[in-house]
Amino acid sequence: MTPLRWTLGLLGVAAMLAGARLLVAGTPPGTPLDVALWLAGAVMAHDLLLAPLVLLVGAVVWRLPERRALRGALLTIGCVALITLPILLRPGPPRNATVLRLDYPLNLLGVVAAVLLAASALVGVRRARRRGDAPNATGPGT
Amino acid sequence: MNDTGLTRFSPPRWSRRLRRAGAPTNWFPTRLHDPRTAVAVGRWLGAGVLVCFLTGLVSHGLQSPGDWLATRLPTRPVWGYRLTQGLHVITGFALVPLLLVKLWVVYPRLFVLPPVRSLRHALERFSVAVLVGAALLQVFLGLVNIVQWYPWPFSFRPVHWALAWVLLGATLLHVAVQAPAIAAYWRGKGRDPDGPERRSLLLGLGAAVGTVTLVTAGQTVAPLRRVTLLAPRRPDGSAQGLPINRTAAEAGVREVSPETWRLRLAGPRAHELSLAELRRLPQHGARLPIACVEGWSATADWSGVRVRDLLELVGAPPGASARVVSLQRRGGYRVSELPPQFVRDPLTLLALRLNGQVLSLDHGFPARIIAPNRPGVLQTKWVTTIEVSA
Ligand code: HEM
Repeated sequence: MTPLRWTLGLLGVAAMLAGARLLVAGTPPGTPLDVALWLAGAVMAHDLLLAPLVLLVGAVVWRLPERRALRGALLTIGCVALITLPILLRPGPPRNATVLRLDYPLNLLGVVAAVLLAASALVGVRRARRRGDAPNATGPGT
Repeated sequence: MNDTGLTRFSPPRWSRRLRRAGAPTNWFPTRLHDPRTAVAVGRWLGAGVLVCFLTGLVSHGLQSPGDWLATRLPTRPVWGYRLTQGLHVITGFALVPLLLVKLWVVYPRLFVLPPVRSLRHALERFSVAVLVGAALLQVFLGLVNIVQWYPWPFSFRPVHWALAWVLLGATLLHVAVQAPAIAAYWRGKGRDPDGPERRSLLLGLGAAVGTVTLVTAGQTVAPLRRVTLLAPRRPDGSAQGLPINRTAAEAGVREVSPETWRLRLAGPRAHELSLAELRRLPQHGARLPIACVEGWSATADWSGVRVRDLLELVGAPPGASARVVSLQRRGGYRVSELPPQFVRDPLTLLALRLNGQVLSLDHGFPARIIAPNRPGVLQTKWVTTIEVSA
């Protein structure tokens, strides 16, 4: 275990150094600093913005019924929205008529609706099955 | 370093103190901020990073092969680059949920106290910061690049290339550092009070990955075209059945007159051909994909003159390579090199027609290169010169 572990770790350090060298030798002089700033910015955007936001939502969802299905649905919707964000925020018209030619806001709404629908169906089926397992647990007509 | 085993990440002390003081929220209420979940998600994330790295390596090799590799690049399968770069971007999309869930799981670790215990601990935390930063930035750069938006102050390719190595290295180092937790995960199977909760999180993650893939992968996976709802490209229904990356206007190419345009062939017996003469040479068809570095691809029927026939015309020696020059005046990729094995290949065409029609100006009229297993940026359009180069 240990020799393997050390080999892996050293390989990792070597690759990181190779990457750093590529960055310094393979780009114009100002670029490494810019990249360092963008790296820090990426970490801060996640740790100070996105993660707290998600945890806040999570703190609410945690108390709701069907939280597991809800969590899956929100996770899916969040990711779908996130990958669409660059398209929605990109300034200026598309470079030509064959790129970014879909109706993204509409499609995003459609996907969100489909995810919510699928999650509700899942919950419904599971509840029905639970009722079927325990027919005396609830009165008729519920 | 503490070899955590499978205990829960302890919540930060200040959060416990806050809670005792009556703070309303339990900061990390679910039980899934634990090493076991971190490993369960991390193995998929690691696999994804590896796939992106390897397919990226292929893309780099095809575009910047260097002398040694250039003559060894395979021309088969014809869909090789379509597969690798399609996979690169499909996996890249899947990394969004994988990375974010992984970071959510380990987020409490950001607040360990004391922040730094020793030099070793400091180095470990630094390497994790590099890992997180490189992963987030790499995915961000990729996703924003493919919508053709470049809001950063550097050029994409060299930075993405350097970060790929940094990210691979940081991942390997991370696996080495976390080896005890990973080993404990595999040993610990079967005794898992949080099992149902964790399985539900992983199912949600699977749903997110599946959905993201479903609505984007049709850029390159033809059967999924109809559910391509949120990808930058949907190749069907575009101009002449194929998307365009750089238009003639963007490349600074104006009307090309079919009467005055000449193909210049430079070699031992230099030669010029008019478009009419080119059309009288033996025409060949090839069904080949265009596979863009941006991750979309589509197959088309091309026809035109074999490049090897043209090189024979100018008396090129066997084993010659060729340099193709475009009329384009703006943007990169004005010149491309065809190594000998691509020149020889019967499927490498100077194409005049696309899907049964004369090439449109945006597709490279009057003549463009189409060769098997190459990135779209090297399928040079508006060809004006083909030079034999040794
Ligand atoms: C996170 C792991 C990733 C790694 C390790 C990685 C690695 C690479 C590498 C090594 C290359 C070749 C660069 C070169 O030619 O010098 C490449 C190219 C590329 N990658 Fe990634 N990549 C990752 C994620 C992504 C993502 C998420 C996307 C977008 C969805 C993406 C989009 C691209 C594009 C468009 C290119 C072609 C660049 C060009 O040739 O102009 N990558 N990648």
